[in-house]
Amino acid sequence: MNTVDRLAVVTGVGAAIAGESPASGPLRTMADPLDGMSRRVLRHKDRATRLALASAQRALSAAQLTDAGARTGVVVSTNFGNLDTVCDTVDTIAEQTYLGTSPMLLPSTASNVVASWLAITYGARAVNLTLCNGSTSGLDAVHWGRMVIAAGRADRALVVGVEPGNQVVDGLLDRWQPAGRRSLDGAVALVLETPESAAERGVRPIAQVGAYARTGAHADAVFAVAMNRRIGLWCVPEDGANDGEVPGAQRYDVAGTLDATCSGALGVLQCAAGAGWLADGSDDAVLATAGRGGVDDATAALLLTPIGGAA
Amino acid sequence: MTAAITGVGALSSVGGSSAEIFAALCAGKSGIGEPKGFDLTRYRTRHAFEIDDRPAPGVDVPLRATRWLERVVVDALADAGLPERLDDVPVLIGTTLREIRSVELMWRDKAEFALADLHFGTALRKRFGATRTYTVANACSASLYALGLGVDLLATGTADTVVVAGVDTISESTYGLLDRCYPVAPRRLQPFDRARAGMLQGEGAAAVVLSREPVGRVHATVTGVAVNCDAYHPSAPHAASIAAAVREAHCRAGTVAEDIDLVLLHGTGTELNDEAEALVMREVFGSGGPLMTAMKCMTGHTAGASGLHSLLVAVESMRAGVVPPITTLDDPMPEAAGLRLVRDTAAPGSLRRAQVDSFGFGGLNAVAVIERPRE
Repeated sequence: MNTVDRLAVVTGVGAAIAGESPASGPLRTMADPLDGMSRRVLRHKDRATRLALASAQRALSAAQLTDAGARTGVVVSTNFGNLDTVCDTVDTIAEQTYLGTSPMLLPSTASNVVASWLAITYGARAVNLTLCNGSTSGLDAVHWGRMVIAAGRADRALVVGVEPGNQVVDGLLDRWQPAGRRSLDGAVALVLETPESAAERGVRPIAQVGAYARTGAHADAVFAVAMNRRIGLWCVPEDGANDGEVPGAQRYDVAGTLDATCSGALGVLQCAAGAGWLADGSDDAVLATAGRGGVDDATAALLLTPIGGAA
Repeated sequence: MTAAITGVGALSSVGGSSAEIFAALCAGKSGIGEPKGFDLTRYRTRHAFEIDDRPAPGVDVPLRATRWLERVVVDALADAGLPERLDDVPVLIGTTLREIRSVELMWRDKAEFALADLHFGTALRKRFGATRTYTVANACSASLYALGLGVDLLATGTADTVVVAGVDTISESTYGLLDRCYPVAPRRLQPFDRARAGMLQGEGAAAVVLSREPVGRVHATVTGVAVNCDAYHPSAPHAASIAAAVREAHCRAGTVAEDIDLVLLHGTGTELNDEAEALVMREVFGSGGPLMTAMKCMTGHTAGASGLHSLLVAVESMRAGVVPPITTLDDPMPEAAGLRLVRDTAAPGSLRRAQVDSFGFGGLNAVAVIERPRE
């Protein structure tokens, strides 16, 4: 549905996901997702920012991108990102008045704090976006990563999906979805760039970002991006919601495998897994889908295609 | 490639439409007052610019921001002569705080609030059938940043019509932390004044309909929007990146500094923003450049809505040939020397092209250039 001609390819994937799960490859979980990060970089940051910084460092390293610079943008997806700071702050004010709060927390009251620290830490000075867009937010972020490259606002985009697991988010989720899973405590990052930008560093792309749609019904989104395509891997929406079948595709339930409510991180996790799957060699495409028909405000579908194939 | 503004809607403490807000600003009418929804025994600051729609004093309710957003989108669509039906028309909503105020009320006061309403897409789907909605949480630059993305959607042929909106209410976590950060509680918001004590928060919403090929009346055309990020500090601005954004906006608009007739400044009344912004304006425009004004003195800082609020005031100013004043500017700061800041009363001007500044936490800078349609 786009007529844009600047392409976006994936050149690096990194993750920082806490816990234990059977997930392997790009989404493997760790006892300490912040392992190897410098204490100076993590100081005075909220949980979401720390996880995002760790995932981004690993993705940038995988993409051999040491200096992000003026032509690199940042796109973050999160729904629960800064709710811990918000709720802790209103508790502190109720108990001790405004005098009990720490001024260091002010930037974290705004939902773009993660994207802000990613830009500062890695020197990314182009377009900087934070999407807090519900269940489809992660796929929306990957698409906007492609769009800012297509529109010439950046040559590279660091796309990060993150949700923090902590007492505040768990408390909110207990009320929002009493029977649901706990929040993911993790982040995942993708480096997207033009093929020319990757070639300048001699980096081999592992996947291409293809068509995307955000529509009311799951079947419409899938049809819009995947008609006449052979799909090898289908990443299903949260809760394994399934509005139909994708013939011949292997089914991957990322949220179920991680046993977590992945929310704004889901779409980026799916694309990380999909890029890993394509890197192992396949002529078929990966279909990532998020948003539950009839439950969420919309559903999104995004295609990742093999390098050298038609987008 | 230009994007025509074919419909507008706006809401703030001083008025319920773009025209009403502009008239209030020209008359020097301020929306300042005592916050009505918070327990003020917890705070020192006593001033904000609120929309007075709570059910009773001291009683706060969830979803006020969502209601304002729906209202301004309805108004913008009607103004553009479009039906209240969006379907696959992209809607970009710039916001600092989304529905975080509702989360506070749910967390602390056990108010009812659904997870689905944390982003604005849910309400826009219900009300307008909209499915291509994006809640862009880009701090106080959010709606002008979103304008840049909206223009890109038209330029890349991804859409023919786009709705760009901005909305914010005041959260207690931001109100309390700002109170904690300022040495004294501001009683007025004084952009570019030597005695400015800091920012005061405002509430509001705004929406514009952008069309690639307009058929009816055009309010103004957006000729260029630049966006970037300082990558410097989580809250302090960085003059060099602001200057880069201003120059890029002029370049994208195919214009030069000498051809800008009006600047709607970001002007927050904080020590650091106003200093950096004034230095950049002097560097870019020199002395005796365009008329400049800053509206937050009368509406407060409407955060995610503020960029579009400024843009709509620029549109009205160009149409009327009148620029509203900075009403709280008593003693201009030395860094602003030589800038043609409009003071005390509204100033006339023949205005064809305006620049709008909008900056935010995280070093986010968005600068737009708009033009009055040819007669």
